[in-house]
Amino acid sequence: MLINILNGLVYGGLLYILAVGLVLIFGLRRVVNFAHGSLFMVGGYVAFAVAAVSNFWLALVAAIVVLAVLGVILDRFVFRPLQHEDPIATVLVTFGLLLVLEDVVKTIWGKDFLSLAAPPLLAGTVSIAGETFPVYRLMVIAVAVLVALGLSLWLRFSRIGLYVRASSVDPVTTGMQGVDTDRVSAAVVAIGAGLAGLSGTIAAPLMALSPSMGSFILIDSFIVVVVGGLGSFTGAFIAALVIGQVHNFGIVYIPWAASMIPFLLMVAVLIWRPTGLAGGRA
Amino acid sequence: MTLLAFRDVDSYYGRAKVLHGVTFEIRPEERVAILGRNGVGKTTIVNSFLGIATIRSGEVDLAGRRATRFQHFTAARRGIAVVPQGRRIVPGLTIRENLLLGAAVGRPGAWNMERVFELFPILRERADTPGTALSGGQQQMLAIGRALMANPSLLVLDEPSEGLAPVIVDELAEIFRRLAAEGTGILLIEQNFGLVRRVADRYYVLSKGTVIEAGELAGLTMETLKRHVAV
Repeated sequence: MLINILNGLVYGGLLYILAVGLVLIFGLRRVVNFAHGSLFMVGGYVAFAVAAVSNFWLALVAAIVVLAVLGVILDRFVFRPLQHEDPIATVLVTFGLLLVLEDVVKTIWGKDFLSLAAPPLLAGTVSIAGETFPVYRLMVIAVAVLVALGLSLWLRFSRIGLYVRASSVDPVTTGMQGVDTDRVSAAVVAIGAGLAGLSGTIAAPLMALSPSMGSFILIDSFIVVVVGGLGSFTGAFIAALVIGQVHNFGIVYIPWAASMIPFLLMVAVLIWRPTGLAGGRA
Repeated sequence: MTLLAFRDVDSYYGRAKVLHGVTFEIRPEERVAILGRNGVGKTTIVNSFLGIATIRSGEVDLAGRRATRFQHFTAARRGIAVVPQGRRIVPGLTIRENLLLGAAVGRPGAWNMERVFELFPILRERADTPGTALSGGQQQMLAIGRALMANPSLLVLDEPSEGLAPVIVDELAEIFRRLAAEGTGILLIEQNFGLVRRVADRYYVLSKGTVIEAGELAGLTMETLKRHVAV
């Protein structure tokens, strides 16, 4: 039971790190980024490529940096021009981007499954309540908690965190105070994309690398964002924990319905609270 | 040098032309009012240099320098702080955070949070409550305090008396006079002539997007007031 809960926390942690990037980008640019799953996937592949010539830790840093730079480029040439457009246009463009990135990865690395090994330092297991549990999986939970804590403190107590919160609700008034909200948004998108890179890298030793790996987790990430409430960081954290548990217990106890349960949960939450668990605005 | 100058400015919202060849200027330490009825383009003047409305022809100087590209932050960085119509207190931020946001531009000067709290003690008492929880008059104080945190050379006040009780308007008039006496330029965009009379010493009258009259406030005739300002 405890091991199942821990495995649920691992998946929830990955979902949170990915979903919080979606929340950041939606909050600042009002863009629902369907390409976010492919950023997760590209992060995994960048880490795979760098780890082949160095080590896991350098690969982790490289994936975050490469994805953050990709985020800045996407913000300048995709999200910023799209922010005032019809939502259907943003969906089509970002979905198209997802397909393009998947094809780029297929062209470079092929369609076959690849694997990235966990670092030797975290390759062992620990005994928890009489059962063994991989240290690496505990590290994934710890990283998710650190990301949640770090983001929360950054948004609450830093000057740029204040600008991010203000820009996400009223970019015009924030700009009138002298804040370059486009630069704030670019930084936030870079952070969101960098987190997708982080998530893709730490997920790589847990799942096989494939060009379509981002599409599967993206759906659960959107469920997290919707259940948590659009634009809510706290909501995303709570929802990721819940979806992680639901996903994992579903696989263990009712595998025939496992993929359906997160959707049923989302429908139930939306009927109960249309703005999500912690969402305050439509 | 001018703090803010429009010369023959045409401004648009999309295809709709709202300002037609507007010309005015305000120099350091001046107190100028722009008068006019609802819908004549008063707020569009502010929105034009804030990059909300689009200037398609004419010239605009901000802090004595020609501006060609108008982004929301351009005016603030040149020492022009705006107290917008409807106050626009940022939801989700406390009073203290709204004030900190005003200091984003980082201009040195006499105004800081402590001094704003001295001017408006109610803001200190409720510093950690949401800014949107304040009453209308208190929100106006917060909007003014937020603008002062930028240590502006020019304070642009867009309909500051809107929706406020006369006693609060009296308080604001006194505050604006004090700010002007300390050397802050004031551009007051108003329909409330009672407030204008106590604050400004020059005026421009706007009608249908065009400046139709300008001069010293002492020379403003009742006929002009009745025809172009009184509701």
